[in-house]
Amino acid sequence: MSAQFSHLDMLEAEAIFIFREAAAQFRKPVLMYSIGKDSTVLLHLARKAFWPQKPPFPLLHIDTTWKFRDMIAFRNKTVADFGLDLIVHTNEDGLKKGINPYDYSPSVYTDVMKTQPLKQALDKYGFDAAFGGARRDEESSRAKERVFSFRSAGHRWDPRRQRPEMWNLLNGRLGPGETVRVFPLSNWTERDVWRYIARENLDVVPLYFAARRPTIVRNGQLLVVDDDRLPLQPGEVPQMKSVRFRTLGCWPLTAAVPSTAADLESVVAETLGARTSERQGRLIDHDQTGAMERKKQEGYF
Amino acid sequence: MTALTAVRREDVAPAFNQELNGILHLLTCGSVDDGKSTLIGRLLWDASDLYDDQRETINRSSNAATGGAHPDFSLLLDGLVAEREQGITIDIAWRYFDTERRRFVVIDSPGHEQYTRNMASGASHADVAIMLVDARAGIKRQTRRHAAILDIVGVKRVVLAVNKMDLVDWSQERFRAIEADFRELTLRFGFREAIAIPVSAVGGDNVATKSEHMPWYTGPHLLEHLERIPSRDISPRGSFRMPVQTVLRDGLDFRGLAGTVSSGCISVGDRITDALSGQSAHVLRIATMDRDLEIAKQGQAVALQLDTDIDVARGAVISAADNLPTVASQLEARLVWLWETPFDPSNGYFLRTVTDLAPISSITINSLLDLETLAVQPSEVCAVNDIANASITLGREVAVDTFADNQQTGIFLVIDALTGASVAGGVITAASNGAAGDGKTFKLTRELLERGLCRDLGDSEEDRREFQRRASETALLLHAAGVQVKIEL
Repeated sequence: MSAQFSHLDMLEAEAIFIFREAAAQFRKPVLMYSIGKDSTVLLHLARKAFWPQKPPFPLLHIDTTWKFRDMIAFRNKTVADFGLDLIVHTNEDGLKKGINPYDYSPSVYTDVMKTQPLKQALDKYGFDAAFGGARRDEESSRAKERVFSFRSAGHRWDPRRQRPEMWNLLNGRLGPGETVRVFPLSNWTERDVWRYIARENLDVVPLYFAARRPTIVRNGQLLVVDDDRLPLQPGEVPQMKSVRFRTLGCWPLTAAVPSTAADLESVVAETLGARTSERQGRLIDHDQTGAMERKKQEGYF
Repeated sequence: MTALTAVRREDVAPAFNQELNGILHLLTCGSVDDGKSTLIGRLLWDASDLYDDQRETINRSSNAATGGAHPDFSLLLDGLVAEREQGITIDIAWRYFDTERRRFVVIDSPGHEQYTRNMASGASHADVAIMLVDARAGIKRQTRRHAAILDIVGVKRVVLAVNKMDLVDWSQERFRAIEADFRELTLRFGFREAIAIPVSAVGGDNVATKSEHMPWYTGPHLLEHLERIPSRDISPRGSFRMPVQTVLRDGLDFRGLAGTVSSGCISVGDRITDALSGQSAHVLRIATMDRDLEIAKQGQAVALQLDTDIDVARGAVISAADNLPTVASQLEARLVWLWETPFDPSNGYFLRTVTDLAPISSITINSLLDLETLAVQPSEVCAVNDIANASITLGREVAVDTFADNQQTGIFLVIDALTGASVAGGVITAASNGAAGDGKTFKLTRELLERGLCRDLGDSEEDRREFQRRASETALLLHAAGVQVKIEL
């Protein structure tokens, strides 16, 4: 073994350290599982951190009911394969009111179907800490995020009340009403996530690989029609194209990219050579300047 | 518009599955006026794997801000809306970029005096610091203050970037004068390496390419220097330490002490000791999910199975049997006050080491450090951004080293018991077992706790953790009531 470790070795060890600290310091943690590639890496690291035990916390999936069908199938298989506990939570109230991703603005939809149910679920089960796959390289307000990110009562994020983090010392002592988001992948980049998936040979949702799928172009973005719930506008006729996704979310809000990268090796090669950042493909973040910062203050992950 | 097209590494898409040769954590300190954000923005623009849409965003925003004369490189750095509006950097921002061989982590911290704490916490993560000065102004009070903070938190390598050389007509004389001041300054501290480089961030001179304006400068340009610095030194060095994070079991006969090796290395068969309990054992197995290891080195996360089941729990520091950490309840320390609420001797505090959390009986502030003169002034108070020398008495013993001996086990946070806030971060300058009780110290013993408060607790791992928790909280309450207390379990 060489004397030096690669940057992935260092990132992996750091994430394992964070998982073990959080599990020891918090009373009732949960892992936010959103099924995508970051969640896949997050879960793999959690398994490593506690092996030979299973991770000492359940998975929580906030289901908007608009996830790709392939995502749900992958979620169920993963949970079964590793024998994990899964909690699925949906904002039933929002569902009844018919809040959907095409009649409502991305900010309203995200708040009602993602942010609100996340808060509901954390309160319902009394979780005091939630692991998430957020990375500092994703967006400028994330660039200032802590590893232990504190939320005051009501799950609000106040950038000015965050605790300084020095060296590798992690302080998880909660103040009254506080909960924490824990980010073991803080120092990873999108490219690292793919490099690591390749290195560890991890299964990911097939949507990350190119295949011929029914697509329409709306507002300049390439959408894959996953079921018949999205009303098509005049002139929109789904066309079969070879596409894949760089990021996964609710299907009417997640843009695909034209690609022929159909296996892990070519996806990694394409990602490492990519010239645009991944959140280009997420329609909700382009809503307005500082969108992410505002969403986080309201309790978004 | 030539500035726009400088060394853009168009086609350096790294090979498939490439793992980079380590990570270099780079702190930038200086103020907005010195052009700090511009310097780092320029480095990212010229040398990194920025995405096209990020470049487009910068070009688009720049046209509004600078009239389109050149990209506003600083936009790559400044994050939060509030900060953009105020035009200053308040918090620490993290940026990541890869050159062909190496991962760089840029830790951008604020330079203003009222943000000493942010800079100290940013610096604590750094392998190297770039200190920035304006060539017209030279070394300022602020530069001295920054050097002192870097030294306190353990940064060993510093680079002085003498910026805006274009505004002093690329004067060698001017640069040499500043360089001489810098040498004199750095000699006062314990830096391993200190170098000055003349740059112009706006023009990209000596940032990621050699400047054509300063033929008299024969040293490396900034990026060249940064790529030469060894990545975080994780070769086995120093004595073995591993703070225990948790104990893992497989439900059969496996009991693994889980943690990350914080210094040195450990091999199967080595004899280890838990200094807190005084017990020793041999390493039977070094386990990870991937495979068992023969040897675990600094930075590796593992689970150690021992040949005898010694009673070790979270908070212990496993060490080589022939080189133990100090078991101490009395610490001398230098600390940075991080929180808005000043030190209050009547408040309850905890001390957090890497994996231990112990109640503090008392903190005595002895003096404050004047960061500009480096003189020490007697003081009993301590508030935000102050750097203090303090004596700390703990409610029970912890396993620590001095910071000079071991940077990993010589650090701590002070935590407010009520709000949970991290109110101070510090380094240990001396550690001892403390004087014997002066008769006024109340001994909180296992027997006392077992009689009542903890009589519902058994012998399981979880119950023992709960026992410790109740002991700590009880000590804090007694302390709040004015009782000097020591936990003896």
